[in-house]
Amino acid sequence: MKDYIMSQHAKVDDIVVSGRSVGKTFANGTVIALKNADFDIKRGSFVSLVGPSGCGKSTLLRLVSGLIPATSGEVTVHNKPVTGPRPDISMMFQKATLLEWRTSLENVLLPTEIAGTITLADKNRAMDLLKLVGLGDFVFAFPAQLSGGMQQRVALARLLQTGADILLMDEPFGALDEFTRERLNTELMRIVSEVGATTLFVTHNISEAIFLADQVFVMTSRPGQVAKIIDVDLERPRSLSIQTSPEFNNLVADVRETLGAV
Amino acid sequence: MAAVHSSQTLAGPADAGPARNIRNRRIAMHLGIFVTIILAWEFGSRAGWLDPLFYPRPSNIMSSFWLIYFENGNVWYHIGVTMSLVFAGFFGGSVLGIVLGSLVGLNGVLRQFLKPYVIVLEATPRIAVAPLVIAAFGFGSGSKIAIIVLVCFFAPFINTLSGVMNVNVEKLELFKSMGASKWQILQKLVLPDAIPVIMAGERLALTAALSGALVAEFIQRDQGIGSLILIYTRNLNMASAFACIFTLTLLGFLIFRGMEIIDRTIAFWKHEQGRSRMTAKRRKAMEGSL
Repeated sequence: MKDYIMSQHAKVDDIVVSGRSVGKTFANGTVIALKNADFDIKRGSFVSLVGPSGCGKSTLLRLVSGLIPATSGEVTVHNKPVTGPRPDISMMFQKATLLEWRTSLENVLLPTEIAGTITLADKNRAMDLLKLVGLGDFVFAFPAQLSGGMQQRVALARLLQTGADILLMDEPFGALDEFTRERLNTELMRIVSEVGATTLFVTHNISEAIFLADQVFVMTSRPGQVAKIIDVDLERPRSLSIQTSPEFNNLVADVRETLGAV
Repeated sequence: MAAVHSSQTLAGPADAGPARNIRNRRIAMHLGIFVTIILAWEFGSRAGWLDPLFYPRPSNIMSSFWLIYFENGNVWYHIGVTMSLVFAGFFGGSVLGIVLGSLVGLNGVLRQFLKPYVIVLEATPRIAVAPLVIAAFGFGSGSKIAIIVLVCFFAPFINTLSGVMNVNVEKLELFKSMGASKWQILQKLVLPDAIPVIMAGERLALTAALSGALVAEFIQRDQGIGSLILIYTRNLNMASAFACIFTLTLLGFLIFRGMEIIDRTIAFWKHEQGRSRMTAKRRKAMEGSL
């Protein structure tokens, strides 16, 4: 009974991002990037978008971010249609996209600077975030002095600096080596649950998608669409060893089947 | 840590020894070649193989140096005149080039209209217009500076134009996702991003400014190193003309070194030393504020 009330409640209040028949075409309608996407994302949940190239996962992320407008249907954030970039959404890309002429600290402070003036509290927060991502000793380093993994950590700190409660991540660790990526993923899970943000995470790695997420949106191409939404009921906190459990492997099989079926 | 340090100090002199030997030998070789050329020139001239009228002896050039720098001391004034022209024209041309380059680069409509003229201007040697500039502005420093502005404006213009146009797409998307205004994108992304390219244009502009100044002085023949070279040549005082030319070599070397230092200061993040220096500076500033 309690669960029932909770879920009713969830339907009204706790949906942070939702899409209704969202479609996006490029090149005057000749290229269908995304077709009829329907989804609801709960507050504080971690959603992975997984699928092959051209399945529209990055497009879906950009539609939510407001960087590009939908061709049909509607994306809403906090029950309001998305019309453009907004302060409660923060985005991270595959490349660190740091400004080479700024130190780690100054890069992390960039969103604050763009939103207004920087206070001492903002500076302290940025310092704390750099420590949180393990770069306490590289606060005054320039991007060229950092490795690829460290640069992405700075980008992660910058993502969190905004204080946005919706985080959009477009293959953020895709360009890194396997070891660095696994370590950063584990840290990402810890940090995101600490901050309590709602996260959309694009990846083409099935294990990574399941390992991180509460829900996996399996996406297929030609035309790009959300083929299936799979709930991941694995216990948290998760460690890397969970990837060898039967439950995990069943989920992997489920995702593969969906990807292969279409 | 201590072990690393000691091994480095041990390896230091052992490695530096042969390296220094090689460098010393190279310096000695260059010096030898230089002295041989000078001596060959001197004796060739004395033996009558080289016409001393056109190829003055190195010893004569040296005494001309002494004459124009210390005995008469007239060259100082002309150096001052020429350098003032170079810097005034370079500054004017740079400002004009960077401002126009930014405007045209950022405004698609303006670019569309100006593109054919830019192409025509690029194909025309700007120096060819120099006599017309003098006809229009008359004799004097004003028209000389105008010529220099004209010849050195183009490199900063083109480099600024392409610098502000070739902004990294991903960084632009980042700024847009943060809700940055157009002015913020320009101020915090586009302009700083273009600085290294603009500085490369400034180097070219400096070369052009020096040549422009000499051409302007050749035409006007009143004062400055260019006029001095012209007058000495006309009086068949080749030794002094050469002394002036070598003076220009030295000046050119100095201002290019200066430009390099400015470049390393402004576009510091492109150089290892610049980055380390700024890291130390920022850390110090932060510690100072706490």
